[in-house]
Amino acid sequence: MEKFQKYCLSLLLIVVYSNLQSQVNCNAMEDEDCKKACELYNYWGDYQGFSESQENLDKAIELCPNFSNAYMEKAVPYLKRGDFITWKILVDKAVALEPKKHLGYRGWCRYQFLRDYKGAIADIEALEKIYPTGYLGYSANGDYELHIAKALCYSALGQKEKAVSIIENQLADKAHNTGFYDYYQLGVTYFELGKYDKALENFEKQSKLNDFAENIYFKSKVAKIRNKDYLDLKKLALKSYDEGKTMKEGYTHYFNKVYRAQIDEL
Amino acid sequence: MKNLLLLILLIPLFTNCQTEKAAVSKYPAHVGDIKFDEKLDDPDFKRCLGEKFTFQYYNDSKGFQYKGEKIEIEKKLKSLDLENDKNSNGYITIRFLVNCEGKTGMFRVQQMNEEYKEQAFEKSLSDQLLSFTKSLNGWVPKEYDGKKVDYYQYLTYKIENGKVSEILP
Repeated sequence: MEKFQKYCLSLLLIVVYSNLQSQVNCNAMEDEDCKKACELYNYWGDYQGFSESQENLDKAIELCPNFSNAYMEKAVPYLKRGDFITWKILVDKAVALEPKKHLGYRGWCRYQFLRDYKGAIADIEALEKIYPTGYLGYSANGDYELHIAKALCYSALGQKEKAVSIIENQLADKAHNTGFYDYYQLGVTYFELGKYDKALENFEKQSKLNDFAENIYFKSKVAKIRNKDYLDLKKLALKSYDEGKTMKEGYTHYFNKVYRAQIDEL
Repeated sequence: MKNLLLLILLIPLFTNCQTEKAAVSKYPAHVGDIKFDEKLDDPDFKRCLGEKFTFQYYNDSKGFQYKGEKIEIEKKLKSLDLENDKNSNGYITIRFLVNCEGKTGMFRVQQMNEEYKEQAFEKSLSDQLLSFTKSLNGWVPKEYDGKKVDYYQYLTYKIENGKVSEILP
């Protein structure tokens, strides 16, 4: 029994850890029912996907039908588990109630989980209309500022020059905190445009900030195109890959991710 | 005190572990749980730890794990050269279970259009993608606490102009 309890506890902790959500300050709510709804959200959001969590989020919605976070939180396990129809119905309700708060999140998820580039652009551009002069927030996984995420969508749709322009503008903004992969993504986009000097310049910047196999692979590709020695870089890229220094994410695969087999084939 | 803390932390899980509940929830124990269906499922496919202890593929830091990585699946699919009605666009998602031996079973299909509304593609396309998904045999069993576990995985095929343009997640 003790072993079983230990296993249950470990399992619970791992489930809770992978589902932590942001807490809301419920004391700021004036309406008593909404305050109760908020407390339910704060507590049950940590048990994402459990039936009790879904039921209590329903209670929260019943108590405070305009509390958008409850819809959003109820939607998340459907997204993570591939039921995108249910996810979209629920997240749309959250967005309708508080577009400022949830448009960026929905847009990011459309990109991250479904590669719905046009849908993601529409959401992020709608958010830009609300905040026309600046900060849009970050992707749910914290990797990209949302202007950069929008640029990745344009890049995926083949609008490379537009993607470059958006990323360059964003990086030039003094208020911008450079993301983990910003220079890499800019470098790859320049590479795809055949602008190898600019590509290399950005891969070097990326190396200084946070180097990883994919970035080294592209440096190696540029060297190969220029008939320079590329094999040392290729070896280094493979070594980095095997050491786990690669673009890896728990839920999905990164845009412009390079696989080991592709590095090996270079 | 230690036992009390343990008890408090375990309440939500144990309530899920109960075989009978006072009130029947309209939700499964966990969102996305797949129940065995004798009309659809192979009776020889077994979970190793039982339904209550099935992980999601993202519950560990390793995420999606397939021998040769996702590109291996992409290469296999490309070699099939599937094509369908050129006007069809949307997504076909196939969710399934990977057991502790890396075997797969209990496949469920969801089809939707670009607006995320349910929509059936031509049966030949969904059947081919289901057969293809069933044929994939490189799933890596996940381990937790030194024990191999069962987990849920899904593959989403993005369909553009009748062709699979991307495989997700």
